[in-house]
Amino acid sequence: MRAIPDPVQNLIDAFSRLPGIGPKSASRLAFFLLKAPEALSSDLAEALEALKSETSQCQRCFNITVKGVEICDICASSERSDETICVVEEPLDVLAIERTGVYQGKYHVLMGVLSPIEGIGPDQIKIFPLLERLKNGLTKEVIIATNPSMEGDATALYLQQRITPLGIKVSRLARGLPVGGDIEYADQGTLQRALAYRQEME
Amino acid sequence: MHLTHLSLTNFRIFSRLELDFPKRVILFHGSNAQGKTTVLEAVAFLALFTSFSASSDRQMINFNLPESDPVRVGRIVADFQRGNKKQHLETRLILEQNGGDGNLRLRKEALLNGVSRRFSELYGQFNAVSFLPQMSKIIEGGPSERRRYLDEVLCQVEPGYSRHLIRYNQAATRRNALLKQLAEYGGNPNQLEPWDVMLSEHGAFLIAGRIKLINQLETLAQQSHHNLTGGKEVFRIDYQPAFDPFVAENGQLGLPVHNLADRSPIELPEIQKSFQTGLEKRHRYDIQRGSTSIGPHRDEMRLLTNQVDLSNYGSRGQTRTALLSLKFAEVHLMHARTGEWPVLLLDEVMAELDPLRRHALMSLLDTVEQAFVTTTDLDMFDPDFLGNHEIWKVHQGIVSEA
Repeated sequence: MRAIPDPVQNLIDAFSRLPGIGPKSASRLAFFLLKAPEALSSDLAEALEALKSETSQCQRCFNITVKGVEICDICASSERSDETICVVEEPLDVLAIERTGVYQGKYHVLMGVLSPIEGIGPDQIKIFPLLERLKNGLTKEVIIATNPSMEGDATALYLQQRITPLGIKVSRLARGLPVGGDIEYADQGTLQRALAYRQEME
Repeated sequence: MHLTHLSLTNFRIFSRLELDFPKRVILFHGSNAQGKTTVLEAVAFLALFTSFSASSDRQMINFNLPESDPVRVGRIVADFQRGNKKQHLETRLILEQNGGDGNLRLRKEALLNGVSRRFSELYGQFNAVSFLPQMSKIIEGGPSERRRYLDEVLCQVEPGYSRHLIRYNQAATRRNALLKQLAEYGGNPNQLEPWDVMLSEHGAFLIAGRIKLINQLETLAQQSHHNLTGGKEVFRIDYQPAFDPFVAENGQLGLPVHNLADRSPIELPEIQKSFQTGLEKRHRYDIQRGSTSIGPHRDEMRLLTNQVDLSNYGSRGQTRTALLSLKFAEVHLMHARTGEWPVLLLDEVMAELDPLRRHALMSLLDTVEQAFVTTTDLDMFDPDFLGNHEIWKVHQGIVSEA
């Protein structure tokens, strides 16, 4: 005999498949929903339903848009320069860079990184659409903003090897000391990078 | 450098052990299976962050702890003096539940002076050289034993080496995964290029480090070997990198033994460039075999006396003497590179040596600041030597000053 009825167990299993949620958190969430007013779970169900059915991808940069919108606000904006394209891994990275308020160019969301271990190659992410996009002759610089992980670095190298021959400048986000960080507490790797990529003071 | 205090909690046989050490040689005397080697293993852990015997690190946590404990923690805490600086190093071995499926996972962490640090930043803070019965594996074992030996020394003396080693292995795993996919499903081999760059960036650092280390070790070991054999034998170390920056890419393999390659003038950027080119040239071959065919992960090192390869033709006596020379060289190299004598750990090695070599080892013990020596038999040592040093008894997990 099972101690937990199937509908509850199903939800626990579903939660466990989410990133950052282990079996314990999953059960806690499931039992919380069981106790909470029905409105909460129906709202949640509705939101989950709409998440897939009401959204789509921008056909140019592959950021998330509302269903029916082919080109996202940023891509459509005439205020934003077409001369630079910032390449990021995920839509969340666009949000992070937008929050800085200093970037005035366009984006390209790869929807992943090259990861041989997970079997993800250039065909599985939005690399070729980016290379196609660059053929329009408007772009002067591509800023690669992949994460400073091994996969992020490999993706950046792969892009660089293919974009540089097009005569387009390729840059990468600087890496080094965090703002407000102490040199004393920086780890060797970070400090080494910061030294290697130091900048002339203007 | 020397240890002033060592505290063990749930470490192998010891539930709790607190020891204050003088700055000199300490002999641990007792019968077998009383905990002598365990004390040495704990000290070595402070330098290597892994067990010096090849067995699993998990076994170092006291097995008497109840299985029902959700978390079992073994702890090695040490105070040591490096130059005129006092340091406090705490390492923890944590065996904990991994998720809800009952699997146990070992997590290791370390704090230097109370601040949590990565192991890659802690290598070289505390240096130790161990002389163990099982070190003959360096000569008698496979190539991986010799690479492990080189890596253990380099992690301690070459800043950044451990970081590059981790990165190199990560990049190799990814390149190999991609090679297998290309072999199985096909695809454009140019996907390998970023991984070639990554592998060559970190691999070149490893190759350069090994070239420099082997050169220095050889010079130092030759001096000891000359003394230990009365000038009868010449000791050489022949580094045989799987990717050799010295040999032009024309398929020519090792040079004759009497004419070992001198790779010391080759600069890091040069190694990186030629290694990257070498990887690119092997795309097709590597895809066929489904793994990376060249690079430091396949390096070999041969130890020779009088031009004879010891791993094939060495007698027991020759092997022992060569190991002793190598270890002496390691001690002097650490002193030369760091300005500090490493702590020496000698586990039951006196018994295997003849009087001449035993005497040489004892005089090395007098050179360094501190050494820990285990023995079941005090008769191995000169009475003078015993009179000058601390003798502690180890019995059933209790250490007492005799």
